[in-house]
Amino acid sequence: MAPKKKEEPKPAAPAAPKPPEPERPKTPEFDPASVTVKHQQPFLFTDFKDAFQLFDRTPTSEMKITYAQCGDLIRALGQNPTNAEIMHVLGKPKAEDMQTKMLDFDQFLPIHQHICKAKDRGTFEDFVEGLRVFDKEGNGTVMGAELRHVLATLGEKMREDEVEQLMQNQEDANGCINYEAFVKHIMAS
Amino acid sequence: MGCGVTKSDQFHKHSGKGVSAIRAAVLIQRWYRQYVARTEMRRRYTWHIFQSIEYSGEQAQIKLYNFLGYLMDNFTPSSNERNLISHIFRENDICRDAEWERYFCYKKIEVPEIYSGPHLTFPLTVEQAVGLVEAFRNKKQLHSRYALQLLLETWKLLRMLPNINRISTCHSKEITICGDLHGQLEDLLLIFYKNGMPSLEKPYVFNGDFVDRGKDSIEILLILFAFLLVYPSDVYLNRGNHEDHIVNLRYGFTKEVLTKYKMHGKRILKLLQKIFSWLPLATVIDQKVLVLHGGISDSTDLNLLARLDRHNYISALRPPKKRNQSSASTSMDSDLDEDVWGANRIFQRRASLTFPKPLGARDCFHNRSLQDFSDRIKVNVETELEIRRRRRSAFNAVMKEPETETATLSFDSVYSDNAKEEWKQILDLLWSDPMAQEGCVPNEVRGGGCYWGPDITEDFLNKHNLQLIIRSHECKQDGYEFCHNRKVLTLFSASNYYDVGSNRGAYVKLGPDLVPYVVQYQASSMIRELTVRQSVGRTERSALKVLREQLFAHKSDLICAFKKFDSENTGVVSLNDWASAVESVMHLDLPWRMLRCQLVTRKTSEGMIDYYDWFNELAIIGPNSDNIDQSLLETLYRHRSTLETIFRIVDTDNSGFITMEDFRQTWKLLSVYLKMEITDEAISDLAVTIDSNQDGSIDIDEFMEAFRLTDKKSRLERGRSMFMGTATDLTKLEGDPNI
Repeated sequence: MAPKKKEEPKPAAPAAPKPPEPERPKTPEFDPASVTVKHQQPFLFTDFKDAFQLFDRTPTSEMKITYAQCGDLIRALGQNPTNAEIMHVLGKPKAEDMQTKMLDFDQFLPIHQHICKAKDRGTFEDFVEGLRVFDKEGNGTVMGAELRHVLATLGEKMREDEVEQLMQNQEDANGCINYEAFVKHIMAS
Repeated sequence: MGCGVTKSDQFHKHSGKGVSAIRAAVLIQRWYRQYVARTEMRRRYTWHIFQSIEYSGEQAQIKLYNFLGYLMDNFTPSSNERNLISHIFRENDICRDAEWERYFCYKKIEVPEIYSGPHLTFPLTVEQAVGLVEAFRNKKQLHSRYALQLLLETWKLLRMLPNINRISTCHSKEITICGDLHGQLEDLLLIFYKNGMPSLEKPYVFNGDFVDRGKDSIEILLILFAFLLVYPSDVYLNRGNHEDHIVNLRYGFTKEVLTKYKMHGKRILKLLQKIFSWLPLATVIDQKVLVLHGGISDSTDLNLLARLDRHNYISALRPPKKRNQSSASTSMDSDLDEDVWGANRIFQRRASLTFPKPLGARDCFHNRSLQDFSDRIKVNVETELEIRRRRRSAFNAVMKEPETETATLSFDSVYSDNAKEEWKQILDLLWSDPMAQEGCVPNEVRGGGCYWGPDITEDFLNKHNLQLIIRSHECKQDGYEFCHNRKVLTLFSASNYYDVGSNRGAYVKLGPDLVPYVVQYQASSMIRELTVRQSVGRTERSALKVLREQLFAHKSDLICAFKKFDSENTGVVSLNDWASAVESVMHLDLPWRMLRCQLVTRKTSEGMIDYYDWFNELAIIGPNSDNIDQSLLETLYRHRSTLETIFRIVDTDNSGFITMEDFRQTWKLLSVYLKMEITDEAISDLAVTIDSNQDGSIDIDEFMEAFRLTDKKSRLERGRSMFMGTATDLTKLEGDPNI
């Protein structure tokens, strides 16, 4: 493999920015300076650096990523923020800024730290309870078609191909999904 | 989406249920996006692992070749050791082609009644070429008689071709260009299926690397050559860096031919050596698009390339010798010429001012054993590298990288300046890779050619009035990739190259508008049924397995490196230090901290790593090796490929067996190369273990097999249910012995 400065293979398409949900109450502006980046676990710090470098696609390895990649990187590091949360910590950038504005590693850290602190991560039970809403017969299954529909139309909508990828091989012969197993499947990644 | 809108309104109306539904949706969406990001991350570092290991293998090959060349230049002319390896350097074939044609004669080879493969008659017809494809699809093998005949005809044709093919698209023709195939017949068949076979209406350019790694290299060659013979104006072949017998020794083509053609394999290989050297170097389409295998450098000159005698460069890894004026033509099998040659070379060397005199006066050349050499060579390899380094820095105008001790091909003062220049041109053409930064630096990762930047592309295209470079040489996940402002296109046609599901293949169609139209594909229907997660997971497991084996093979060095961080000898190091130590030993430039969680699962309570424990955790087991020295074993694991390459070189009659005596000599060679002590006793123990039937000869394949590492961990993981795929998928994959 060439030195890191070499161009990397094409990345997956970054998640498109989604508008914030109307139901959410207005949150104050995010101020990165207010976040104290903890240094007590130095090895985690450098973990991020490796990951950051993997996402760095600048031709001269400047250790910078675009705004659009920020969400992906945070998720790759194990968090699962909503798109709204990402946009919030980025200071609600315009759509055209997503591909052009850059973050360096020091700017990234407080953003990542902030996301890490968020409490509402979603447990197994939360998931199952949420899916139970669609369990019409109360038998532990939901209709695959209905779930696809929900994922594509509610919340932070997913694209059809994204839904397809998630649901691939999940439905049984009747088009039903056992949602406990489904949640286990998602959380196992 | 009309009804959809209504439905979500419905949810809004019944707000209690609506809110929890939305919350559930958001939760799932969040988790999904995390999963996608993590999968992408895993895919990237898996790719890095494979590529790093591939390129470091190429570098190792060049190092080995350099070393052998160095030995050649320093051995006593008639020593046994020299005879062991001299034959691969037999470039003094200056006898006439007519004599060669006698040697390659197929006429006396009889085809038995029971042969069920295709029978060829010449001149070849298109029906026969198509029949050949069908036969290979049905797993038949072409009889050596026909193979030799076909190769001979190919050789005759290639000799008439220029170094640079020049072709044009007519208003109705599109030209199809294919990249590396690497012996993967399935991909070639897939291309023919999707795109049609070569014909007058369907011209093709094949851009090198037809052989090595895959298991059907000879079949691919035979198909390509058959179509070349049938449609000489519509099939164009460019030479790749793997069309080279030295590279073939390591990467499997030599082995494949010798296995499939037990009686005549050697002759076929020799003929292929000539054919490879006669393959054109590049193709230009409509005077605007340049197609070549590797790339260019800041000194690439198409006019020079068009003028040189390409067939002098049998292997791109070694420049041709300076022709000695007084040498007469001799028969091809004589060693006498070698000795004369060798003596003359040594004489020339003494006259050289810049080269050190390794061995002193000529009189004491006699009776030099390998052991005698080893001490001198240990010293001299160092000085050699120092000289090369100095020479290289003088040679390269632009050097942005700090100079490191690496293996790059050497320029000996024995060779004329002209030959050196020509050789460098060819080397650059076949081995270079594009880079994002401007400038041109030596390609130290591969060990040959250079890295060239967008400014070099710009200047080159302007200078030669071209608009696009199409090249191959590098595996790309989507089968193709543009760079340098879309002025350079990399095209790779071997899908699933690193592993099942690792990448797609692609070919390009070029019409008179010269706008490349890319077609992608992926061989094997099993792949299409795999989900993204399954295929990423599978490739990742495969990469990690390879990586674990590599780590295990460097155990001693790693422990040394760990100890440097562990001055108090506690047996533990921090995770950070672990990563630094590993990179300092492995030199693979991988994101070790990211890989850490995959490679190290056990940490102490303070977050440290017990490194001795870690090696146990790697769970690699070797053969029953109580009587074999541990460090010797490690050498074996680490240098498996090099060892095998040396074996095949030593096996001069290509039988697959070497004598005990040669076996010992091989080890001595290796010990000099690796600068480590291997006692005679240790070698004897090794030999005894291997030569189970005590007949005094060793089966190379058996030997290498006996020392294959087994990864216990991946076996354990196989038991775990890793995907929710269908039962049939599971059994198909689990039965794969390569996992």
